[in-house]
Amino acid sequence: MSNRLPAAAAILLSLGAPASAHRLDEYLQATIVSVEKDRVQAFMRLIPGVAVSSIVIPSIDTNGDGIVSDSERQSYAERVLGDLSLSIDGHPLKPRLVSVDCTGIGEMKEGLGEIRIEFSADLPRGHGSRRLIFENRHQSRIAAYLVNCLMPRDKTIQIAAQNRNENQSYYQLDYRQAGGRSDPLSSLGTIALLLSAGLVLLLRLRARRGRSRAASRQSNHAGMPDAPRERPVRRILGYLPPAWIRSTDR
Amino acid sequence: MRFLSTRTGRGICALASICVSLSPAIGQTATARIVTAANAFLSTLDEKQRQTVEFAFGDEKQRQRWSNLPTGFVPRGGISLKEMNATQRAAALALVSSALSQRGFEKVRQIMESDEVNKTSEGNNPIFGKDLYYISMLGKPSEKDPWMLQFGGHHLALNVTIVGEQGVLTPTLTGAQPALYTIGGKTVRPLGQESDKAIALLNALDEKQRKQAILSYRLADLVLGPGQDGKTIQPEGLKASGMNERQRAMLVDLISEWAGIIHESAAAARMAEIQAGLDETWFAWSGPTSVAPGKNITAYYRIQGPKLVIEYAPQRLGGDPSMHIHTMYRDPTNDYGRRLIAK
Repeated sequence: MSNRLPAAAAILLSLGAPASAHRLDEYLQATIVSVEKDRVQAFMRLIPGVAVSSIVIPSIDTNGDGIVSDSERQSYAERVLGDLSLSIDGHPLKPRLVSVDCTGIGEMKEGLGEIRIEFSADLPRGHGSRRLIFENRHQSRIAAYLVNCLMPRDKTIQIAAQNRNENQSYYQLDYRQAGGRSDPLSSLGTIALLLSAGLVLLLRLRARRGRSRAASRQSNHAGMPDAPRERPVRRILGYLPPAWIRSTDR
Repeated sequence: MRFLSTRTGRGICALASICVSLSPAIGQTATARIVTAANAFLSTLDEKQRQTVEFAFGDEKQRQRWSNLPTGFVPRGGISLKEMNATQRAAALALVSSALSQRGFEKVRQIMESDEVNKTSEGNNPIFGKDLYYISMLGKPSEKDPWMLQFGGHHLALNVTIVGEQGVLTPTLTGAQPALYTIGGKTVRPLGQESDKAIALLNALDEKQRKQAILSYRLADLVLGPGQDGKTIQPEGLKASGMNERQRAMLVDLISEWAGIIHESAAAARMAEIQAGLDETWFAWSGPTSVAPGKNITAYYRIQGPKLVIEYAPQRLGGDPSMHIHTMYRDPTNDYGRRLIAK
């Protein structure tokens, strides 16, 4: 990109504009992502530099009348969204345009224009460790990307890690989502409880079978109890919480 | 025959007030001093100018009307130094000075001078210059009720909210281009300490700490610059809880370059608040890890704590990034003193 600087300076000199105050040869695209339980929201600020505005403006002001109409603004925003990829836990998401706003063409020509796009996407139910991936390929040859994530307001969402490539066109957000049924700890707890309950049920069945065999043997061989078959059950039940023993080993 | 015209008389009165406001008033609180200076400044203005300077305290548009850009591109509210006579200008600067520490005011002066150098180097371009800085007030200067003093222009946005004896400087933007210049044979770097202290801290980290602090991606600009009020991003980098005492002291000293712009008593309260959250404060660096002697770093860095965001972002605009710097100082929990006002 550095070889574009002399060209940018030349353009500025030809415009008679000061080289210092303007964004020059980059198209800054700053995105701030906000993750909630059931949706992801993103706010984009797109600021074309004065030397690249001639590339960006025709794609916004498509009829070249120097005015950005509502439909031009809308279709440009849709085009930007089309250059984005968004996925959660490996499943692609479809960004939905919420709003678009932009300054006039004159300001863009001076490197002072800004396009603001807000979009969102619904998140499928999920829990535990989640991974959101955001990729921006819009005007990649001239882009300077920035991506960040707002600290979640929802305390059940904890950001675990943010990873980006060098130019921030690729952004990976790892977070943990807890709370309610989707709490990973409560899910693990549920599994543990189910396993324990299964184990206890199995042991009870075996114990009952043992008792009935002993009873039948007793009826066949009076005075010879079949105690050893009961012992392993008791040993295992000894490791279970007393409440469990009470409720299962009646 | 009148010995003095009304205008001259007013000027003398204003100067007397300025002298009073500038003299170290024994027993006078910081807020009382600022209020005195504010009233002294207002008394130098005619009715029309006064109306231009004064805004309602609830004027959110004016509160957020600040930028890093030259005033020709993003018009500021209030009145510029250019539109003032010498007495008014002296009173305006006395007011700004009363709200800041000595080193804070010196920094402001150097930033304004830098824009004057920029003007000269750009062939006397009228969009730059040290007289294109605007002063405005939201609410009436008061020792009890909240009010706000704004002063800014290209590369400067001071937003000082005063609530009783408390003073809040966030959000404030400082910047400079050229960020190194010579005046009267003296080399000046308005944001030189912000650069030198940061690279010193980075160099004081061990390899493991540096790995945590240095981000693997490029940051082209401020993330929470103008227009980004009320946002708190996820912090990154190295946590101060993972630093030793010397490194933590260096970090605090670096933070003081922003927190210490405001007058001493407000700065002391702010530093105490920052120290209280130091364990949860992060230091992140992106870009070159070395610097040419006597020059500014060309790397971006961010310091983020529970009540603090500082960003230092060299700009490629205009060529050498070490010569063009934007910085941002915020308290996401108390920008514009909102936490204090809500109480």
